[in-house]
Amino acid sequence: MSTETYLRFHQIKRRFGRLRVLTGVSGEVSVGQVLFVNGANGSGKSTLMRILAGLLAAEAGTVDYVEEGRSFDISERRRAVGYVAPDLALYEELSTLENLEFFCELRGAPRSRAAELLDELGLPHGRLAGALSSGMRQRLRWGWALLDRPKLLLLDEPFQNLDRPGIEQGTELLSRHLEGGGLAVVANPGPLEVPHVAGRIDLGR
Amino acid sequence: MSQAESTWAAEAAAVFVKDWRCEYRTRYALNTLGLFAFTTLVVVSMVLGPVGNTQVMANAVLPVILWLIILFAVTAGLPRIFVAEEETHTATALRLAATPSALFVGKLAYGFTVVVLLEVLITPLFLAMVQLNVAKLDLLVAALAAGGFGMAAGSTLIAAIVAQARTRSALFAVLLLPALVPGLLFAVTLTRAAIAGSDPGVELRMLLLYDGTLTVAGLMLFPTIWNP
Amino acid sequence: MRTLLLWLLWLLIAAIMVGSYLFAPPMKSFVGGGESSRILFFHVPMAWTSFVAFIAAGVWSAIFLKTRKRRHDHAASTAVEIGLVFCVLATVSGAIWAKVEWGAYWNWDPRQLSILAALVYYAAYLALRSQVADDEVRARVAGAYAVLGLVIAPFLFFVAPRIAGFSLHPQPVVNQGMKLQMDLSVLGILIGGSLGFMALFFWVHNLATRLALIEDELDQA
Repeated sequence: MSTETYLRFHQIKRRFGRLRVLTGVSGEVSVGQVLFVNGANGSGKSTLMRILAGLLAAEAGTVDYVEEGRSFDISERRRAVGYVAPDLALYEELSTLENLEFFCELRGAPRSRAAELLDELGLPHGRLAGALSSGMRQRLRWGWALLDRPKLLLLDEPFQNLDRPGIEQGTELLSRHLEGGGLAVVANPGPLEVPHVAGRIDLGR
Repeated sequence: MSQAESTWAAEAAAVFVKDWRCEYRTRYALNTLGLFAFTTLVVVSMVLGPVGNTQVMANAVLPVILWLIILFAVTAGLPRIFVAEEETHTATALRLAATPSALFVGKLAYGFTVVVLLEVLITPLFLAMVQLNVAKLDLLVAALAAGGFGMAAGSTLIAAIVAQARTRSALFAVLLLPALVPGLLFAVTLTRAAIAGSDPGVELRMLLLYDGTLTVAGLMLFPTIWNP
Repeated sequence: MRTLLLWLLWLLIAAIMVGSYLFAPPMKSFVGGGESSRILFFHVPMAWTSFVAFIAAGVWSAIFLKTRKRRHDHAASTAVEIGLVFCVLATVSGAIWAKVEWGAYWNWDPRQLSILAALVYYAAYLALRSQVADDEVRARVAGAYAVLGLVIAPFLFFVAPRIAGFSLHPQPVVNQGMKLQMDLSVLGILIGGSLGFMALFFWVHNLATRLALIEDELDQA
């Protein structure tokens, strides 16, 4: 009990103006598992991911993240998750290395981690983030998410813009993460080949 | 885990360095502020001429004009502090990585150094173009520094607020100016005293108090503005 | 009970209006034999009430930031709206008085300018609210601005008029050296009027907030 790590959310509701986007979504995921959220664009999939990451407040419902028996409040959760999403951007005027090193400083990861991840993902160190192709941008997002080895990964459309080798590498990284004691929520508008799926939520009308 | 390893000061410093690195490569803020200030200065100078030797102008009008030029440039160029992060969608990454108070301080430091650079560039030009002599130069420097700090602190907080609104930059001046009235009053009075060579009285202490209050208010309110 | 209180409030305000003309003596230091000084009984309470309204907005905003309950946010924005009405009335009545006393509606007097700055500050608050789409963000962000106002408003209402040096405004008569400088009957009507207007503010505010909450519930249904 005291070393448990899990994410649980219960009856999450959210509307934007008069539009009801989430009408009471619940789910949970534990170590070594993936919770798969299937939702077309506009179904509230990204809204749910933002709420889980702590970027957006739910109107009603609760989110509980517990890591090794300790409960995290929303601000701790924000800085503990690894988040990949289509609208996540890094600084265009900085190089890939400068970007990741900056975030290493903020998140408390050793600076060497930046170069290490760039090498693993096959990204050039000196190229400006604004000059990357869409596939490289997506790989950079993965690098950003994995900087301080988070236990919880929230992946919204993780394989977007990736080619076959990119998808294989992403799957490999995810498997390694899960086998190393991590958990993940993966959201996608459509089916996805993802290992260790233990639960599934279908959003949308 | 991760939180314990990054110190607050290191975070603030990292934000400051990152902002200046980006600024150095693009020069957006400096160009905007510099251009606005310089253009206003030229217009003022053309309209007024070298009136600095007239007593009434030196005491009453010119100190206000100098501060208005700085204020105008600040309103044009400082919203970027947070609006740029939202517009380029880098705010998401920042929200998930930075401690809010450290982020605020780093941004405030950046804003302040931008204002100081502007003042260093514009003030000598202003003094020369209107031919104004300053009796107590050290008091003028103190007024510019303390007044500039107040502008930076207010601007950083208000920029964070408008970054979440729709019309952003348009709303910035409307929200900022009334909040800056106290600081501007003190700064102008101090500048007057510097030019005339008279005793500043209690004004400098009041200005520093105002700066401190604004900074504390910003530190306390920023986390609520920045995160849900 | 409620009706009784409302009748008492009505009586109080009626008494103030009558008393300000029939009961209080004209203040000789004012122009035209002092009859114009009667505007004091409306202008000053309006200004004080708007200040109370803005402080209340700041307090309710602080409470909202703690509790995150909608009704506190509504209470804050309603307080600003009504406070602005009182502030406009104070500014306008002040301008009328200025015209009679000093010959011009606007004199660049520090007190006139600082109440104008306060007016702009809180008008900006409403502008901000209209520019944020999401309810939750709007409440948070406007709340922060109102809390900042807790620092700015006292300065604008009470400090700025005193430090800007030369002022045409009559010196503050109530607490100069903690001695009462004015006639007690004048003071009585002034305080009574202030209390009356503040009570009026809180009554209207209560109604408006309840209305806003009902509208909210209808929206959600």
